[in-house]
Amino acid sequence: MQRRLTLLLVVGALVIIGLLPLVMMLGKSFFVDDTLTFAVYEKLFADARVQWEPMAHSLTLASLTAGFAMVLGVPLGLLLGKTDLPFRRALAVLLSVPLLIPPYILAVSWFNFLARDGLLARFIPARTAELMSGWLFGLPGCVWVLVGAFMPVVMILTMVYVHAVSPRLEESGRLITRWPGILRHITLPMIMPGILFGGMLVFLLALGEVGVPMFLRYPVYPVETLTQFSAFYDFGAAAAAATPMLGITLAVLALERFCLREKTYRLRPVTSGTRMLLVSLGRWGVPAFLAVSLLAAAVVALPLLALIVASLSPFAYSEAWSKAADSLGRSLIFAVFGASLLMLFGFFCGYLIHHRVLRFWRAVDTLTLLLFTLPGTVIGVGLIALWNRPVTGFVYASAAMVILAYLAQYTALTSRITLATLGNVPHSLEEAAQMTGAPWLARIFHVVVPAALPGVIAAWLIGFIFCLRDLGASMLVYPPGQDTLPVRIYTLMANGAPSLIAALCVIVVSVTLTSLAILGSLLRTALSHR
Amino acid sequence: MNRRVSTLLLVVAAAGIAGAIWTAFRPGDNVVVVYVSEDQVFSEPILKDFERETGIQIKAVYDTEETKSAGAMNRLIAEKTNPQADVYWANEPIRAEVLRQQGVSAPYRSPNAEGIPEQFRNAEGHWTGFSARGRILIVRRWLKEKPLSIRAYTDPRFNGKAVIANPLFGTTTAHMAALFIVWGDAPAKAFLDAVRKNGVRVSSSNGESADQVATGAFQFALADTDDVHSRQKQGQPVEGIYPDQEKGGLGCFIVPNAVLLIKGAPRPEKGRKLIDYLLSRETEKKLAYSDAGQIPLHSDVDTPPAVRRLETLKVMNVDYAAVAAKMQMIQPLLRDWVGH
Repeated sequence: MQRRLTLLLVVGALVIIGLLPLVMMLGKSFFVDDTLTFAVYEKLFADARVQWEPMAHSLTLASLTAGFAMVLGVPLGLLLGKTDLPFRRALAVLLSVPLLIPPYILAVSWFNFLARDGLLARFIPARTAELMSGWLFGLPGCVWVLVGAFMPVVMILTMVYVHAVSPRLEESGRLITRWPGILRHITLPMIMPGILFGGMLVFLLALGEVGVPMFLRYPVYPVETLTQFSAFYDFGAAAAAATPMLGITLAVLALERFCLREKTYRLRPVTSGTRMLLVSLGRWGVPAFLAVSLLAAAVVALPLLALIVASLSPFAYSEAWSKAADSLGRSLIFAVFGASLLMLFGFFCGYLIHHRVLRFWRAVDTLTLLLFTLPGTVIGVGLIALWNRPVTGFVYASAAMVILAYLAQYTALTSRITLATLGNVPHSLEEAAQMTGAPWLARIFHVVVPAALPGVIAAWLIGFIFCLRDLGASMLVYPPGQDTLPVRIYTLMANGAPSLIAALCVIVVSVTLTSLAILGSLLRTALSHR
Repeated sequence: MNRRVSTLLLVVAAAGIAGAIWTAFRPGDNVVVVYVSEDQVFSEPILKDFERETGIQIKAVYDTEETKSAGAMNRLIAEKTNPQADVYWANEPIRAEVLRQQGVSAPYRSPNAEGIPEQFRNAEGHWTGFSARGRILIVRRWLKEKPLSIRAYTDPRFNGKAVIANPLFGTTTAHMAALFIVWGDAPAKAFLDAVRKNGVRVSSSNGESADQVATGAFQFALADTDDVHSRQKQGQPVEGIYPDQEKGGLGCFIVPNAVLLIKGAPRPEKGRKLIDYLLSRETEKKLAYSDAGQIPLHSDVDTPPAVRRLETLKVMNVDYAAVAAKMQMIQPLLRDWVGH
C-alpha cells in the first residue's frame, strides 16, 4: 500500500508538472478563438514538402552526431572506467567539460579558433585557414561541435554501466579468453542498454538543437517551432510544429525497445564486497594515454583554449564577476535543489519502471522521454499557461517555477540512470528486508538506495549538470530579477564584449568543476564509510 | 553506515523541497517589473540609474539573442490573463505593435513623449518610441569601392561577398517588411530573388553578420548601428554607412526602441514613472553616449560626433503598424527564401 501510494503520488506530481503543461500547449493547437479546429495541423502538413528538407537535415545531423558520439564515447568510457589508464580520472573530467558549456558557446569558441583570423590562422597558411573556416560552416562543423558537446553523455553512461557488470561473469570469462574477448562477448553486451540509451539521448539532444545549426548555417527543423514563437507568437502553431519531433521520439523509443526487448533489465547483481575488475593495459597504457590525450586536446582543449585566450583582457574577469556573481549564486542553488528533486523523482520513476509496479509503467517512461525531447520554450509556455493564475500566483512568481521546469524536462535522465542501476540490485535484498517486517519506505532508504548508491549519485550529478546549463524553459519562467547564469550569459552575448562572454564561460566551467569536485569528495567520504 | 548515507540523501532531497518553498516570494511593494528586449549591456545601466534616482527597485526579465528574442514577448503574451510585468521595453516598435494588437498594452501618454515625431508613436498612446537604431551597412574599413545602397546586395561586384542576417528574425524581418511596403510586393520580391542570385550568405543574427565582416569573411552586411558601434569600440576595422541617402533615395530604415505599459499591470503608477524616465531626454542622451550610440528622437538632445542626429538623416518613411502587419504576411515567403 505504502509503495503504491508513494509511486502514485510521484506519477501524479509528474502529470501536474510535465503532462498538464504539454496538454495545455497541444490544446492551444486545436483551439483557435475557442473553436475546435485542425487548421494548424492542416497548414503544417500542407507545408510538409517545404519542411521535409530541414527535417531530413535534422535527422542526418542527429544520426551522425549520435553515431560518432557512440563510436568515440564507448571506447573512451571503457578506457576511462574499466582500465588502469594513467590519469584516467583527470582525463574523464577534462573530456566531460564540454557538457558543462552550452553548445552554442562551443560553436562560437570553435569559430574563434578556426575563423580566418582566429587563433589557428596565426600558425597556418592563409589558404589552409580559409579551408578550415569554410569547413566549419555546414553539416561537418555542426557534427563536430555537437559530437564534442554530447559525446560525454555516452562516455559517462558507459562508465556508470560498466560498474553494473558482474565481476563474477568476467572472472569466468577470463578462464577461457583474454580481455578483448571478454569485453566483446560479456561486458559490451551487458552494457548495451546503457550504450543505446546514451546514443538515444545524444540523438534526441542533437535533434532538438537550434543554436549551433543556426550559427553554423545548417537549416534544421526545430527552427520551425522557434519561428512560430518568435516571428508569429503563435503558441498553437509552435506546439503543432513540435509534434513531428514527438513522433520521432516515439519511433526512437520503439526502436530502442525492439533492439533491447527484455535485455534492458538483465544486468547482473553486484553485492557489496565485489569490486569491478580493472583491465590492465600493460604496454598499451602509454599509447592509449597518448591517444586519449590527443582526443581530449582536439575536442576539449582547443575550444577551451580559444575561450581562455578570448577572455584574457585586463578587466574581463572582474567585470564578469560584477555582472554575473548573483546569477551564478542562484544557478548553483537552483541546480542543487533541482538535481536533488530530479534524483528523488528519477529514483521513484526508475523503481516504478524497473519493478513495473503500476500498469502504466511504460507510459511513465514514454512521458518523461517525450518531455525531454520537447523544445524548452514549449514546456516554458505550457508551465506559464498552467501556473499563471491568481490561485497559483504564489508559485508562479517564485523560483519554484525554475525547479518545476527542470523536473519537467530532465526527469528522463535520472529515471533512466536509476533504472539501469536498479538492474544490478538483487531483488532478494529487498525481499529479505520485507521478511523482517520493514515497511516499504524503510526498505527503499535503508536497503535499495544504499545498494544503488553509485547510480543514485550519478543521477544527481547528471541532473546537476543539466540544471546548471539549462536555458530553454527556465528562460521563460524565472522570476523577474532572478535570472540564472546561462540566461545572463545569453542576454549579455547581444553586443557584450567577447572577452566578457568568454570570461563568463570560463567561470561557469571552473565553478561547475569545483562544485563537482567538492561534492564528489563529500560523497566519496560518505561512500568510504559504507 | 547505510543509514548515514540514506540520511544524507534524504537531507539533500528535503533541502531541495525546502529550498523551492523558501525561494517562493513575490516582488516587494517598492518594485517595478520590466521585461526588456533591448540588449542587456545597454539597458541595464539605464535601469540601474532609475533605481538610484527614484529608489524604486527594478526587477527585470531580459531577452536573449540566441533565442531570437522569443523570451520576453512570449512571456508577455502567455501572461496576458494574469500580467506580472508593468512595463515592456521593446528594442523595436514592431513588437510593441504586435502586443497592442494582442491586447497586451494599455494606453499611456507620457509628458516626456512631447517632441518625439509622431511617426515614432502610436496615435492612441499604446507605445512610444525613443532612442533609435539605424539599419546601416557595416563594411571593412579599407574596402575601396564601398556600397552606398542596400541595392549593393544585387550588385555583381559584390557577388558572394555580402552577408545578411536571417530575415525570419529580428530587425531584418522588419526591414524587409518595410521594403515590401515602400516598394510594393512584386519589386521587393524581385529584389530578394536578385539578392539570393547574387550569392548572399545568411547568418544567424546581425551581430554575427557584423563579426563576419570584421573578420574579413565578407565585405559588407546590413546591421544595426549598435552592432557597428560595438565592433568599432572593440577596435575592429569596420565602419558604418547610412544607405540610400542620396536625393530621392530610399532613406535609412530607423528602428526606435519602444516602451509600453502593460494592460492590468500590478503596479501601474510605478510603471508610468519608469516610462517617463525612459522617454526623458536624459535617457536618450545616455543611450547616445553609450556603446549603443543610439539616435535620439528628441531634436534637442546632445549627441557625440559619431552619432548622427535624426534631422541630418534621410529616413525611410513607414508606418510601423503597417510594417507589423506586413511582417506576418511575408513570413512564408521569407521562409522559402531562407530555405532555398
